Amino acid sequence: MPDADRVDAVVVGAGPAGAAAALELARAGRSVVLLERGPFPGSKNVYGGVVYGRVLDAVLPNWWDEVPVERWVVRRSTMVMTPTQALSIDFRSEAWGSAPYNGMTTYRADFDRWLAGKAVDAGATLVTSTVATGLLRDEGGRVIGVRTDRADGELRADVVIACDGVNSFLAKEAGLLPRAEAKHYTLGVKEVLALPREVIDERFGVHGDQGVDIEMLGCTAGIPGGGFLYTNAETVSVGVVLSVTHLAEAKVRPEQIVADLKAHPAIFPYLRGATVKEYAAHLIPEGGYGAMPRLYADGLLIAGDAAGMTLAAGIWLEGVNFAIGSGLAAGRTAAAALAAGDPSAARLSAYPADLHRSFVLADHKRLRKAPEVILSERMQQRYPGLIADLMEGMFTVTNPEPKPGMAALLRRAAKRNGVSLRDLAADGLKLGRVFR
Amino acid sequence: MTDATAVTDATAGVAGVAANGDPASPVRPLIAVGLRFVDQRPAVNPLTGAVTRDPAGAAFAPADGAALEHALRIAAAWSGTVLAVTVGPAVADEALRPVAALGVRVLRVAAVEPAPAGPDRGYLAELAADERALAARLVAAIRTVGEPALVLCGDRSSDRGTGALPALLAHELGAAQALGLVDLRIGGDPPLLLAERRLDGGRRERLVVPRPAVCSVEAAGVRLRRAPLPATLRAARAAVEVLEVPLATGGVAAPVVPEIGSARAYRPRPRVIAPPVGTARDRLRELTGVLDRQEPPTVVQPDSAAGAADALLGYLSRAGYLQPDQTWPDQT
Ligand SMILES: Cc1cc2nc3c(=O)[nH]c(=O)nc-3n(C[C@H](O)[C@H](O)[C@H](O)COP(=O)(O)OP(=O)(O)OC[C@H]3O[C@@H](n4cnc5c(N)ncnc54)[C@H](O)[C@@H]3O)c2cc1C
Repeated sequence: MPDADRVDAVVVGAGPAGAAAALELARAGRSVVLLERGPFPGSKNVYGGVVYGRVLDAVLPNWWDEVPVERWVVRRSTMVMTPTQALSIDFRSEAWGSAPYNGMTTYRADFDRWLAGKAVDAGATLVTSTVATGLLRDEGGRVIGVRTDRADGELRADVVIACDGVNSFLAKEAGLLPRAEAKHYTLGVKEVLALPREVIDERFGVHGDQGVDIEMLGCTAGIPGGGFLYTNAETVSVGVVLSVTHLAEAKVRPEQIVADLKAHPAIFPYLRGATVKEYAAHLIPEGGYGAMPRLYADGLLIAGDAAGMTLAAGIWLEGVNFAIGSGLAAGRTAAAALAAGDPSAARLSAYPADLHRSFVLADHKRLRKAPEVILSERMQQRYPGLIADLMEGMFTVTNPEPKPGMAALLRRAAKRNGVSLRDLAADGLKLGRVFR
Repeated sequence: MTDATAVTDATAGVAGVAANGDPASPVRPLIAVGLRFVDQRPAVNPLTGAVTRDPAGAAFAPADGAALEHALRIAAAWSGTVLAVTVGPAVADEALRPVAALGVRVLRVAAVEPAPAGPDRGYLAELAADERALAARLVAAIRTVGEPALVLCGDRSSDRGTGALPALLAHELGAAQALGLVDLRIGGDPPLLLAERRLDGGRRERLVVPRPAVCSVEAAGVRLRRAPLPATLRAARAAVEVLEVPLATGGVAAPVVPEIGSARAYRPRPRVIAPPVGTARDRLRELTGVLDRQEPPTVVQPDSAAGAADALLGYLSRAGYLQPDQTWPDQT
């Protein structure tokens, strides 16, 4: 049990990053307090709906036997759309439907609670309904704890790990995240819609605890972003992710874009008769590798969305696994520094090095150009139409005219959508380089 | 004071105040708070009526929070101690710890654990069970700590919702009761426990509450304070005292728990209706009465025209269209 006002480490935010960090610290035998402003972990958190749990293999063997899951994703569709057309690339694998699984849909209220529970079981102290309002520092500027919104609310610690999510106030206060630039953020807006289990099974072609993940491009009224549709056991989550700056310029209400997506001819049949259970919106840090802040200071580490670690490279939207991966690494680094009795910045600099060796920064570094390419004007506004027109041309039977050649179709589709063949070739090369 | 406010003594008379309520008494009076841990948004299947509870949504109702805050204020005035008791499943401990952080002794009486998944029959049975037995268990639990000077509750729980429990507690304790209060404070000289509740027509009633008493309060006027950080940290990992109180307690027989075999949609037994007889035309005639109510036509076959006229006139008289003695002008 921790001292009333002094512990080895304080972790701020009991999201996936914070729970993972607290778990590693507690396992290393350190006294750690996990602070959460919501009434329970997961109460404040919004996300799309798919968690990739592979990152948990090393810390929680056979986690899949006990994790609160809605459905295991066995079908993954990528859809390119225009208002009246849709092309799907649909992949399905039986392997994803059994242990060790790949992705799962789960509610954050359940998942975050479960993961934080693991940290508590390991010995961490979870304190809910408590907001960290600022950092405590010594004369040298070194972080020595946090201030909270409770009476006698100062909590001293040798290391503070800020896992307080996107737009982290603690990282900003520490001067690590100097300026929030709107262009590095997207706004996620989603609805959770209730449908009976059998109806979901039937409409999405699954059964039992199998689930579906549909990612969409070209469904955001020309605003850079994308859409998603995930199946839970008895609900589906449908929503869009929109560039904040472009959304502001477009002067469109985000809920209007979700409404249009729900009414799209390729999506509406999945949702007919569904009733809205929940509506939510949240920011996503999509700046990628280039926009990440410095990850440590004297006595301070930052992890998860606080450090801008969501990987949002077009057809990927992964944040929870990156939050867990970085949280675990931050917890390990902090535990090692505490063991050495030296939580200085020099010592904590092992943290980014560790992250570069793991998927967390390796993936971000490799895909660092992806946000720019995926959110580019041509990719968002022209290619969905080009691809859809090309497909329509290919599969429309024009008898008695003979079938047009592919080259002619491509030229025609490119022209109709205002893309020169030179742009096309250049973007193809760029994409190849980004995703190589 | 306006005429909309009446001052009344509570039922048990003021004598109790002097007997039990001397704030200067050397023993620290015990103030107990009954808290009800309820899933605030349980899933109810609209077709079958099956209830599924989710511990993540469970909490104490705002009125219970108000009761707790009143208890803390009165305890400060009386130099008393506060005891919070809940009858609930193990997850209720999570909600009791922040209460403990307020310097309150907490006690949980073990209750039906929620079903791990799916509909919760045990819970429905518990809800339907005799509320007096619940009151007896709460009183038994409180008495393991001491004889309460005051018991506070929220005015009604959000699941059972009868609002009767505080009255049953008062009965078990042989205490006075003042229910559905909007205010409860120590006031006057000598200091008395003063309560206020709503009456019809926007009026208010002020009561002097003797001790021992059971008071239930609305979620009004006060808000539960927050615990300081050090106490919150200490309470976060502290074990919660759990009591096993049998259902049959304090002279109350174990209630007959109605067996809820299965929760199904309400489908009334069909009424047996005999199948129709005859042809469709018969049924139509029967239903509409077409043709039936008419008299069968009379065929008149007289020998002469005068005889036919007499027969017709006779019919019209019988049917009331003509006066029987009416005479007609001579046609000749
Ligand atoms: C619409 C949308 C869809 C998404 N879809 C997916 C998806 O399908 N799959 C996926 O993997 N990721 C997805 N993400 C990203 C994912 O949600 C985040 O990457 C992930 O939640 C980051 O975890 P975290 O622990 O860093 O932060 P968070 O989950 O944001 O947790 C931060 C926690 O800190 C608490 N907190 C904040 N400030 C304070 C404070 N001062 N004091 C105390 N507590 C505080 C908060 O209450 C919160 O619990 C999506 C995001 C959005 C918005």
